[in-house]
Amino acid sequence: MAAFINILLGGVFHAAVLFLVAAGLQIVFGVQKIVNLACGSFYALGAYFGVTTVTWALKAGLPPFLFLPVLIASGVVLAVIGPVIERLLRTVYDRDESFQLLLTFALVLMFQDIMRYFWGANPQQLGNLVMVYGKVGAGGVDLPVYNVLVIAGSIAIALILGGFLQRTRYGRILRATAENRAMTEALGVDVRRINVVVFTLGTVLGTVGGAFVVPTSAASLDMAVELVVEAFAVVVIGGLGSMRGALAGALVVGLMRAAAIALYAELELLSIYLVVILVLILRPSGLFGKPAE
Amino acid sequence: MDLGRRKAIKTIGTAGVVAATLPILGFPAIAQNRPLRVGIIAPKAGIAGTIGECGLQGTLFAVEKINAAGGIAGRMVELVIEEETNPKDSIERLRKLVLQDKVDCVQGIVSSGVSLAMGPAAEEMKALTIYWDGTTQDGVDETMAKPRYVFRSTDNECEAVMASLLVVKHWKGKFKTIAGINPDYSYGRNNWAAFQALLKKFGIEFTVVAEQWPKVGTLDLTSHVAALKAAKPDMIFSSLLFADLPVFMRTAHSAGLMEGTRFAFPAAGFQHTALKKEFTPEGMIFGHNTLYFDHPQANALQKEFVAYYHNKTKDYPHWEADRAYFAMQAYKAGVEKAQKAKNAWPSIEEIAAAMEGVKVDSLGGPGRMREDHIAEQTFYQGITTHKNKYDFPTLGVVDTMYSDQLQKPPGANFWKWIETAQIKL
Amino acid sequence: MTPRLTTLVIVGLVALVGSAPLWATPYHITLMIPAMAYGIALLGLNLLFGYAGLLSFGHAMFVGIGAYTTAVFTSKLGIRSFELVLVASAVAAALFAIPIGLLTVRYVRIFFGMLTLAFGMLFHSFLFKFYHLTGGDSGMRVVRPTLLGQDTQELDKIAFLTGPFFLYVLALLVILGLVMLRIVHSPFGLHLKALRENARKAEYLGVTVRRFRLAAFVISAIYCSIGGVILAVPTGIADPELAYWTHSGNLIFMTLLGGFTNFFGPILGAFSFILLQDQLMSATQYWRFFLGVVLALIVILFPRGLMGILESLMARFSRGRS
Repeated sequence: MAAFINILLGGVFHAAVLFLVAAGLQIVFGVQKIVNLACGSFYALGAYFGVTTVTWALKAGLPPFLFLPVLIASGVVLAVIGPVIERLLRTVYDRDESFQLLLTFALVLMFQDIMRYFWGANPQQLGNLVMVYGKVGAGGVDLPVYNVLVIAGSIAIALILGGFLQRTRYGRILRATAENRAMTEALGVDVRRINVVVFTLGTVLGTVGGAFVVPTSAASLDMAVELVVEAFAVVVIGGLGSMRGALAGALVVGLMRAAAIALYAELELLSIYLVVILVLILRPSGLFGKPAE
Repeated sequence: MDLGRRKAIKTIGTAGVVAATLPILGFPAIAQNRPLRVGIIAPKAGIAGTIGECGLQGTLFAVEKINAAGGIAGRMVELVIEEETNPKDSIERLRKLVLQDKVDCVQGIVSSGVSLAMGPAAEEMKALTIYWDGTTQDGVDETMAKPRYVFRSTDNECEAVMASLLVVKHWKGKFKTIAGINPDYSYGRNNWAAFQALLKKFGIEFTVVAEQWPKVGTLDLTSHVAALKAAKPDMIFSSLLFADLPVFMRTAHSAGLMEGTRFAFPAAGFQHTALKKEFTPEGMIFGHNTLYFDHPQANALQKEFVAYYHNKTKDYPHWEADRAYFAMQAYKAGVEKAQKAKNAWPSIEEIAAAMEGVKVDSLGGPGRMREDHIAEQTFYQGITTHKNKYDFPTLGVVDTMYSDQLQKPPGANFWKWIETAQIKL
Repeated sequence: MTPRLTTLVIVGLVALVGSAPLWATPYHITLMIPAMAYGIALLGLNLLFGYAGLLSFGHAMFVGIGAYTTAVFTSKLGIRSFELVLVASAVAAALFAIPIGLLTVRYVRIFFGMLTLAFGMLFHSFLFKFYHLTGGDSGMRVVRPTLLGQDTQELDKIAFLTGPFFLYVLALLVILGLVMLRIVHSPFGLHLKALRENARKAEYLGVTVRRFRLAAFVISAIYCSIGGVILAVPTGIADPELAYWTHSGNLIFMTLLGGFTNFFGPILGAFSFILLQDQLMSATQYWRFFLGVVLALIVILFPRGLMGILESLMARFSRGRS
């Protein structure tokens, strides 16, 4: 029983991580209809930058238990790249979406080398800092408090984003823009600004996510390229552009993977793509997406 | 288009620049009046980038020493560095080095996929090529039965063989159930199979209770660790070797997997400085392959290199640096042997023939190039301790083995050899 | 340009490339082989992208299928006839493309892109995972094929590549180029274009949308597969990286670089990409960054690619003259 719960928790934790990668992808697609291949790059950048900032802060005398706020702050600081990249993307808003996709592919190529330039080829990590918050559990079930924080953090982000989109005025404007851009514009909404805000929000979700998860993991050069594919699986299963879908998709992938690892490890990767294809065949718009053409 | 234009040669470090600018005196033949050009193909980006960077330091160190002492048979060495990526592009870079830059020798290669593809390509181009790494069992026999120009590194499986022997030596009778978590590619598969074959050979009865095959570069191993924990193995064998190794170690530590379980990590040396003491206990078997940087009886050369490396990178080197150094020195030994015998500058074929059987004192210890073009080197593994000045564990007891004990003799089949070999523990 | 002039220029260019063994270095001739292989693959991809308006992020899969078919034939089955390998890889590509196409062409735009990406990655993980069948990460060996029944073992590899193989591939490029030219100018090709511009209207006019898209998908898969066969020969191995999603990204990159609105754009794109990557890799270790910059510039400033630039230069020139 304890073993089962441990494996289940492992799956939930992975789902939380995936949600953090996919959330930015979803919000950007939801409003701007841009598929951002660079979402994994933002996540990786957040991870690298988080390691550097926290290492530096600890050297400067930061008490270890305060590392989490510094980590989150480092992710938030990276928001500055959002508007810059949005400015770049703005040049192709009125073009075919293939161009937008390709521009983000160009970003993936560039970010690989930007990270290598600053951090070199060695993977970066934060030692055992993750354990300063200790462990919880009983009866053979135990997990680091930090993992619980990551799971809780993902749920919080999902709830806050959901609440923001559903309940606030600005959220309604965003959703309206997603529904009908021309109409919102006609009603006097500054869509240009909305684009900046949404893209920056998408960026920050990625960078904060990367920074948030890195203590449990490591930052490495190929993570960006690898994660995009998993994030894609998540959003395809959940439905493009839907926040709830990202949550559901992340859970499906996370739990599928945990189940495969526990039952038949050979299927770990294949199982995910098989679910993706199954979903696309049976319910092409994903679990929570709006039907495509 | 300037397709015919000769491109400027990149040189790196002071060694190359010095070599390119210093006039070389005392060698009359015009053709030899240029530096020896060595092409390096090593990964710089992606998962193996960190391995390539470490190897390059070994090459640079070797070239600086060689050039300071008058070069190879009197000719300075200059480097042309290319990046190892996928097999297709790497072979195109090999062609560029050979056809365009007209290098005298090619060294490098870490990934076994690239090395398998490059072997026949280098043979067919008659390009003297010395691998740093990436020699697996699969396909080696069929692709390169009798190489003339290509020299390979020691078998990748050596470290698994040695780790298995240490497991038998230290832990025989102390475990019944085993589990494996190994990277999902030929290297990981062979290591895990070799481990089990050796346990059988030494009459150890065991049950495999879990097998995990994470994809190389998987950075969330929580579920894998939970599955391993559920299987309650007495002993875990893992050839994880990239960023996934420290992640695994930390996850396993925080999940309490380490209590009561023994661990053998044949390739831990690749990540040794990233495995911090806080989450890496004592008493594990760690493989450092052909270079253990903190060896108490290290020779002066190794000490000099470790200092050189630490000074440049603020880190401690692993075995790839030794492999790269070995490759360069084996080449030097071959050229000088052939040159002495002929008393004139030797051809590539003569150099290759001369390299067979040369002995090299490498950073990690003595080594030799076998007649079948596979290197023999000295291997180091042992049991981890925290009693040191670093923030990561080192080896308390160091076992040293020469690779004639660890790899199959020329022409043999690896799996048959494991069954029949007379191995001393 | 008048059609006649175009024909003249093309014939001139083919003659120029064909005479490369006389004027180019062996290294650059070997570089032209992947350029031509990609040229063929992109001709197919562009039928889908440029003509049918479907952006696939999974066509590296078909390049992989071509390469692995070559490996299976030459090293496992011992069938080294290059012609047979070409036919077999075309058949293999079609066998994969028909069911995948049936599922994917129901969608357009981003959904099509993601679905093809998913299939591509499924194939990649299959190659990677089914180690005993495919060799996993180490891939499968490709043995030198015979050309038109002629064994060329007496030639060394470079002489083989820069001699007979180079000319053979050039001939393939020309033939497949002509076939594709016929396809895009056939009623089928015109229908595809009509579909791109307005699917509803085209349907109204009696064009069965899906069937046309499916046909384009299968043809593009076959072209990509043949490209993969050619790529595998100089490399000597078929490896899973060929099917990875970033390779699909590179295929589109090349198409765009040359210009997807022009029939010859993809071929120009393949040649310029290979040249660009070769130069960048020699010049800097941060070549990926600069590739990204070039792609961004093309997307933002020159969406019609190098051909677009050429066309507008030519337009300005002829205007200046008249």
